[in-house]
Amino acid sequence: MQQTPRRVTHALILLLGLVWIFLSTDKTGRATSGNIPAPQQGFQAPDFELITTTGEIIKLSDLQGQAVLVNLWATWCPPCRDEMRTIERIYLDYEEKGLVVLAVNMTYQDNEKQINPFIAEQGLTYPILLDKTGQMANAYQLKSLASSYFIDRAGLIREVVIGGPMAEALLRTRVEEILK
Amino acid sequence: MITVFRSVFAQPRHLILVLAALWLGLALAEKHLDRRYISKDALNNIVYYGILGYVIGGRLLFVLAHLSAFAASPLGIFSLNVDLFDSTAGLVTVMIAGFIYGVRRRPPLWSTLDALTPLFATLAVGLPLSHLAAGTAFGHPTSLPWGIDLWNANRHPTQIYDFITSLGILGLLWFRKIHSPAGSEFISFTALTACARLFLEAFRGDSTLVFGGLRLAQILAWIVLAAAFVTKELLLRKENTG
Repeated sequence: MQQTPRRVTHALILLLGLVWIFLSTDKTGRATSGNIPAPQQGFQAPDFELITTTGEIIKLSDLQGQAVLVNLWATWCPPCRDEMRTIERIYLDYEEKGLVVLAVNMTYQDNEKQINPFIAEQGLTYPILLDKTGQMANAYQLKSLASSYFIDRAGLIREVVIGGPMAEALLRTRVEEILK
Repeated sequence: MITVFRSVFAQPRHLILVLAALWLGLALAEKHLDRRYISKDALNNIVYYGILGYVIGGRLLFVLAHLSAFAASPLGIFSLNVDLFDSTAGLVTVMIAGFIYGVRRRPPLWSTLDALTPLFATLAVGLPLSHLAAGTAFGHPTSLPWGIDLWNANRHPTQIYDFITSLGILGLLWFRKIHSPAGSEFISFTALTACARLFLEAFRGDSTLVFGGLRLAQILAWIVLAAAFVTKELLLRKENTG
């Protein structure tokens, strides 16, 4: 291509590019489109209400203002077993700073009778919720265990970690971010 | 089909797609190599040091940014968790490693970048597939019939848009004759990719916004496109005068 037509073409492309940038402005001003609850980083965490092993009802939206780690697990899942002790250590270190840990057992695909012995064996002190119908798995589009969701004080998911076991350093870095 | 794909390559298996693209890209780069300017061994060394720099730099700088967390658990530095990583820091380390390699070995810069272009172009094809599998780089909600169900909405399949345009760019560069001056192939790839990003970012639902709604990635793509045009002019001028 000769020099002048080439330069004109380049200038035209750049001008059209500028026009397109302004035409495609996100008028809602939000980084994550639609603000629809979804189990993905940047979205509002889907709400849920489940019963714990001690009979208490816990609803996620009641915890707004606190940093929440939601961990989906099952007794038959080896990485879940490995990381839950680590989560316990993190929970003890950060509980006073406002960290809430909700460990949701996929009871619909687990043996409920094994849960309490498992909790005792692991020495877990954070709430264990029971997903007996699969509603949590459905809402969070469960693909693999263990799955963990780090939810900040505004209820936004800041990080999703699929698969495990999570290293203690990873847990600490993510927890410190949602506690800010 | 997309649901099956996303199940097979669900996180963390989505990284297999990036590794496959890296392997294929290196094979294509070797096949496409102009051995007058750079040998196969030199190409492999550059890629090897680049990958090493990316992995070490990304992990090291992540550790430095979160020292308190690693102080409590120092063995975490060697953890296999891929989330303990800073991609941006990794890319910066690659650039530094490339600069050091360039100073020590003095390969011809533009010919080297041309030699690496098939690798970059193939990675650009693999990355959107990895995004599709992981559900990242997702699109705006839409009512168009080719929207995909993702994150509780029917969305633009921006990962597929990216895949198709990147594949087109790879095909265009692969089958076109190489024109002088050296650097033309790399600059063409850069300009085409920047153009594609500039256009397709408008359909993304996860853009970083600045100045009240402008998409940062589009602004950066425009700057890269302008720089590519200017660089092309300078190289052509140098060829004409030299």
